[in-house]
Amino acid sequence: MLSSILLTEDRKRPAGWRYGLAVLACGVVVAGLLPFRTHLDLPNTVMFFLLTVVVVALMAGRGPAVLASVLGVALFDFLFVPPRFSFEVSHAPHLLTFAVMLVVSLIVGQLTAGLRAQASEAARRERVARGLYGLARELAGAVGVEQVDESVARFLQEQWSAPCRLLLPTADEHLQAVHERGGVVPALDVALLMKVRDAQRPLQVPAGDGTGRQVHVLPLLGATRNRGVLAVALAERADDIGPLLEALAALVSTAVERLHFVEVAQAAQLEAVSERLRSSILSAFSHDVRTPLTALYGLADSLVVGPPPLPDQARDIAEAIRDQALRVNGMVGNLLDMARLQTGPVSLRKEWQPVEEVVGASLKLLGSALEGHPVRVAGLADLPLLEFDAVLIERVLCNLFENAAKYSPPGAAILLDAAVGPLTVELRVTSGGGGFPPDKLEKVFDLFERGHAETAVVGMGIGLAICRSIVEAHGGAIRAFNPPEGGGCVAFCLPRGTPPLIESEALPLEDELG
Amino acid sequence: MKDAMILLIEDERQIRRFVRSALENEGLRVSEAETRREGLLAAGRCQPELVILDLGLPDGDGAKFVDDFRAWSAAPVLVLSARSTEYDKIGVLDAGADDYLTKPFSIGELLARVRALLRRGRARPGAEASRVSFGDVEVDFALRQVQRRGEPVRLTPLEYRLLAVLVANAGKVMTHRQLLHEVWGQATGDNSHYLRIYVGHLRHKLEDDPAQPRHFLTETGVGYRFQL
Repeated sequence: MLSSILLTEDRKRPAGWRYGLAVLACGVVVAGLLPFRTHLDLPNTVMFFLLTVVVVALMAGRGPAVLASVLGVALFDFLFVPPRFSFEVSHAPHLLTFAVMLVVSLIVGQLTAGLRAQASEAARRERVARGLYGLARELAGAVGVEQVDESVARFLQEQWSAPCRLLLPTADEHLQAVHERGGVVPALDVALLMKVRDAQRPLQVPAGDGTGRQVHVLPLLGATRNRGVLAVALAERADDIGPLLEALAALVSTAVERLHFVEVAQAAQLEAVSERLRSSILSAFSHDVRTPLTALYGLADSLVVGPPPLPDQARDIAEAIRDQALRVNGMVGNLLDMARLQTGPVSLRKEWQPVEEVVGASLKLLGSALEGHPVRVAGLADLPLLEFDAVLIERVLCNLFENAAKYSPPGAAILLDAAVGPLTVELRVTSGGGGFPPDKLEKVFDLFERGHAETAVVGMGIGLAICRSIVEAHGGAIRAFNPPEGGGCVAFCLPRGTPPLIESEALPLEDELG
Repeated sequence: MKDAMILLIEDERQIRRFVRSALENEGLRVSEAETRREGLLAAGRCQPELVILDLGLPDGDGAKFVDDFRAWSAAPVLVLSARSTEYDKIGVLDAGADDYLTKPFSIGELLARVRALLRRGRARPGAEASRVSFGDVEVDFALRQVQRRGEPVRLTPLEYRLLAVLVANAGKVMTHRQLLHEVWGQATGDNSHYLRIYVGHLRHKLEDDPAQPRHFLTETGVGYRFQL
């Protein structure tokens, strides 16, 4: 009973009702006491009036308690103290009684009302804290920003009947309401919201809709960046609400940030899974195609080299089978490379290394494919270290050399040279022959585009497209041109970057190594 | 060389068939296995002098086989692998395999590798020769002298140590990791550019055409192979 009285807040009842309660309480006491007036001493009567003040203070607060004190003294004087029905005082000590009674009433009333106010304030805080706790729990389990928005709106509605709007940045950094609740928070100036978000300080503005509400605009501060704003329209000016709103904003930003990172993590995981899937499909395919090709190549080769010697014609056929198998293998390799390079981000294993080494490796790999085309290499020894994926750049060089050999007349030399620019190093592979058709210098790097469609040279038009993908993945560029000296040239450049420092090692003294 | 026992672990019958016939035509004996498990059992039974191991076995990882095999045998292991699996190759070479052949391969290539590895395997019990010559270079390890066309070549201590490690492992593919560990005493990949630079130095000092080396060969993405 007491707690239910205590927990009833002042503002929930209109002032008229509370002062009426004070008057009514005094009336009830008078009506109750009058019939027993002759049996009661005056001090007993005073006690009842004091009790009334306490009850009024408990139920209706400070103001009504003051009214009940004054009214009580007046009624006591008028109705109970002789001469009755007059405010005249016949007996001087009665004046003292009235004074003491008034003072005691006022003090008791104020103390009681203060106690009640404290209790109700504590209860209010507890309720808010409980609400915040519930909200925190709800937000921790939220799986989407819509759910966050909904929980916050319900919390504010329950606590302060305050409408709110949660605005989060879109992909292009504009603020957008998660859910538009028609008219609850008047459309705020976007520039104002952006200002709050960027200044990272809360702001209070009148709602301007005639309700006298104040709109609190709170920035949602994330650990890494600002996550948006929360606008709350509160009915009254409450000084102590600031920290509460800050706590609320912190809760919401944590939830929004958590959701953001969950999203990021899921996207990354998805990408990793699809990358893994892609790579395992490609290697399974590669294995499945290469196994029979290896068998075909090896079996044909064993006919060519192995005893017993075959008749010439059969031997020629076996050689042809072997060479065709090798060609199919080359095409499969190109197709797989293209699939790997074009179906997703290329993962590079970049390391700092000399260009000379990868050139040597690709020439050795090509081996007999370059037969009849002497390769001249110039100016590689003095190049700075470059950072690249050796396997992929080897592929580029092999394709360029192979292409050059394919389209050069027999015996024509292939030239590889290099030019060091301020930001890049350019490598050029020049072949003899007629060069590229001038109208196709750009298009030769397109997939399935062949520079010399009319020639009898076989190929699928993948080689140069692979080169372009690889070079571009390294942040470089590739171009084709016909140098004035004749022939065709493909040049690609790689960024120089900042090579690591190399500590040079002194030559040993003569006596050390002899 | 004749009569050496070769263990061939490969799951594809047609590949086994031509590899076997090529080896037998050379007078070698061949034992076959289809899986890693079978391969280990067969290795214990036939004590091969050389193992030819396919990297794409149905029951997995070639590196695991080499690990288990190396526990009791030092016989060389030649790996057959598809291109574009450099990282699997590095794994199996680091585990102790000696060389690899990329599919598809010709019989000539296969036999050349097999012969080189068998020679290496047989040479191992004796101490390494104190004098080695390749091309027009002569190295005398006892005197720590390197000569090219009769002229002394000056090497830095690290270059000399790298040369010694490469020559001692002639014919074997050495991964970047292994070389860094042997020469610099560390297994981190962070300094692999040092290794590349020093191999470049050796090429410039000892090769006729450093851009097209004949002895200090690059196994791109994997490591180096020194060839006599």
